[in-house]
Amino acid sequence: MPVEVIMPKVDMDMASGRIAVWHVEAGARVEKSEALFDIETDKAAMEVESPASGTLHHVIAEAGSEVAIGQPVAWIYADGEAVGPRPDGTAGGTNDDHGPQASASDDGMSGKARPPAPSSPEEPAKRTPEPAPSGVGSALPAALSHAVPPRGTLPRATPKARRLARDNGLEIAAIDGNGPRGRIQAGDVARHLEALSRPETASAAPLHWSPEAGPLSVLRSGKGDKTPIVLLHGFASDGASWAPLLASLPTGHPVYRIELPSHGRSPRRRIASFAELVRDMRQAFDGLGLQQAHLVGHSLGGAVAAALADTRARRIASLTLFNPAGLGPEINGPALAGIARATRAESLAPWLKLLPADEETITSNYVRSVMLARADPALRAAQADLAGHLFPDGVQAFSIAAALDRIELPTRIIWGKRDRIIPWSHALRAPGRISLNLFENAGHLPHIELAGQIGILFADMK
Amino acid sequence: MNMDAGTLARPEQETRELSYAEAIREAMDIALAADERVVLMGEDIGVYGGAFQVTGDLVHKYGTDRVIDTPISELGGAGVAVGAAMTGLRPIFEFQFSDFATLAMEQIVNQAAKVRYMLGGAVSVPVVMRMPAGSGTGAAAQHSQSLEAWFAHVPGLKVVQPSTPEDAKGLLLAALEDPDPVLIFEHKLLYKMKGEVPAGHYLTPIGKAAIRRKGTDLTIVATSIMVHKALEAAQTLAGEGIEAEVVDLRTIRPIDRETVLGSVRKTSRLLCVYEGVKTLGIGAEISAMVAESDAFDYLDAPIVRLGGAECPIPYNPDLERAAVPQVPDILQAARALAGERV
Repeated sequence: MPVEVIMPKVDMDMASGRIAVWHVEAGARVEKSEALFDIETDKAAMEVESPASGTLHHVIAEAGSEVAIGQPVAWIYADGEAVGPRPDGTAGGTNDDHGPQASASDDGMSGKARPPAPSSPEEPAKRTPEPAPSGVGSALPAALSHAVPPRGTLPRATPKARRLARDNGLEIAAIDGNGPRGRIQAGDVARHLEALSRPETASAAPLHWSPEAGPLSVLRSGKGDKTPIVLLHGFASDGASWAPLLASLPTGHPVYRIELPSHGRSPRRRIASFAELVRDMRQAFDGLGLQQAHLVGHSLGGAVAAALADTRARRIASLTLFNPAGLGPEINGPALAGIARATRAESLAPWLKLLPADEETITSNYVRSVMLARADPALRAAQADLAGHLFPDGVQAFSIAAALDRIELPTRIIWGKRDRIIPWSHALRAPGRISLNLFENAGHLPHIELAGQIGILFADMK
Repeated sequence: MNMDAGTLARPEQETRELSYAEAIREAMDIALAADERVVLMGEDIGVYGGAFQVTGDLVHKYGTDRVIDTPISELGGAGVAVGAAMTGLRPIFEFQFSDFATLAMEQIVNQAAKVRYMLGGAVSVPVVMRMPAGSGTGAAAQHSQSLEAWFAHVPGLKVVQPSTPEDAKGLLLAALEDPDPVLIFEHKLLYKMKGEVPAGHYLTPIGKAAIRRKGTDLTIVATSIMVHKALEAAQTLAGEGIEAEVVDLRTIRPIDRETVLGSVRKTSRLLCVYEGVKTLGIGAEISAMVAESDAFDYLDAPIVRLGGAECPIPYNPDLERAAVPQVPDILQAARALAGERV
């Protein structure tokens, strides 16, 4: 009997997951524990490993489809096992390119009697009339499998959030939860109330721009056969911002600078959440086809790097985060909005001066060159739109805390203690196994301000 | 540390630095001098000065009629103390280790706690029992327990856990004025701890908690030595931008509801830290009390308890430390709790 591959539960309040991509095609061989497909939930993205070795068949959930927890998405047949009709008794898969007849005749074992089905403990109870103790076919760790029943209609909310919603005549279900496991907390209610109190601001700037297709821009430099380095810049910046650090990186590494959507030479995209941003960046990263890479990110790019490392752990040799976003709610909202909005050097300069520890490093020439790079109103509008989704009301609406908890790679956080965009103390929230390098004399741009000194931290990079 | 909370009757009193053990001895000295009904009883509390040298040389000052060595029979000694209290004396009975109070459960639970009720209030039992408790001395499983919650389960008893020298003295003097049996759980590791102690007679009210540190981000309700661990953790947390409010429960029967609930209403987050075994312990009571009250509607995160491990206290020093909450445990729990802020 083939081993059933199900949509695993990777998050406590997850009711369904979206298959982002299959790593193995129907009809192809897969080894147990090899990456089988990627799933995305509201908050997480992760690789699902194959529950068994064999050949993948009956792929009934294509990439992009949403599948309820515990539902089968495909089956894996052991070597020599006859491929029959879909084991769940439903005829015809949506993507079953190796039909039962063809496969059965291939191995000539059609009609062979099969032993009784061992059922997976993860199968919903109604599908397991006789639970077998030695179930295989689980695509998820045992600890996660003891299901919390699928989320019902009641949203998860703290008593305080419920009281505040009640007192203000709000439906709790209308409020987005940003707490652990999507829990609605008092702060979420407060933000919701604040948003309600000024409903016009969001649509006040109807700048017209259209999303563009095409891959993200990647700047390549550096030659050699050492492990490549991939650099991800921050919000409202671009690939050129890495230039000072490039000179300090050890030689022999190919360097790839991926530019965020709506930044630098990358196409403008409508990105409505951190997860979407990560998905876009993951595609670009996968497109590089690297077996191994050192991943380095700054600010928003740091958060993206952490999320990438969480789903591509096997292909990341090390992770370095400069002043990463996503470790706490606070961020300098006015500065982000000011930079995204500025249409001339005079209005841009005061905000740029907040970036380094020493304002003197921001010369008028520098401001003009940044403004020049931001001359395109559509780019500014797309970035403002992105900021609205990632940093609503001047708050970081996403978190990389869970990702950092899971990451077991050599990881380093570098932060300037005079950062006026994101408080450096967020670094202290990282798990203990992550190394911290805190610089007294740097602000939000240590990779530029102290490029020479920081190069030393990369000296032993293989 | 803020020591001013909740202590009565010492507006301008002079203070000196005393150890916790010295503060208890001073309280007994004051009581012995002021009231001839007060007697000390216990094993080796006379010439030997007590298992932890708390009674010290009081036998030389007050004689063996008032500082009485009892035989090695907790059942007998406690029975004599309860009987003496019923017939007019104000005995202070010392157990060498609170673990041995298990030998005197009949006298404490069936007699002392019940007599006033069963005799319609005709007789009360104003006995004070001193209970050296807690782990950390390498004295292993039978000499290291924290059994305070056992006794706090019994109506008719009052149970206090002073965490400072000032409270150790003030609560003992308050216990002597209380008409009912009062059990004082003194943590053995605190005996040498020093602190400012007012001179003369004063009372620390039974049933009143103390806020040792004010904070806004979470409430840590702690007892006994855990108060100090919580304060140490709170100091570190403050450096990370997390302001913990530390409530020293001081009395676990009757519990000061208002102080605990008021703090939780303010911070919306509750962490309970106590040395007794976690299951069915003080933290369970505090948690349930909050969940049953209007403070429930102020909670913005699940309640967290840190208590002793579900095992006898091990002899191995590393395991012994691991069996009860330590500062890093509190830090971790508090960060996780405060990190739930969005």
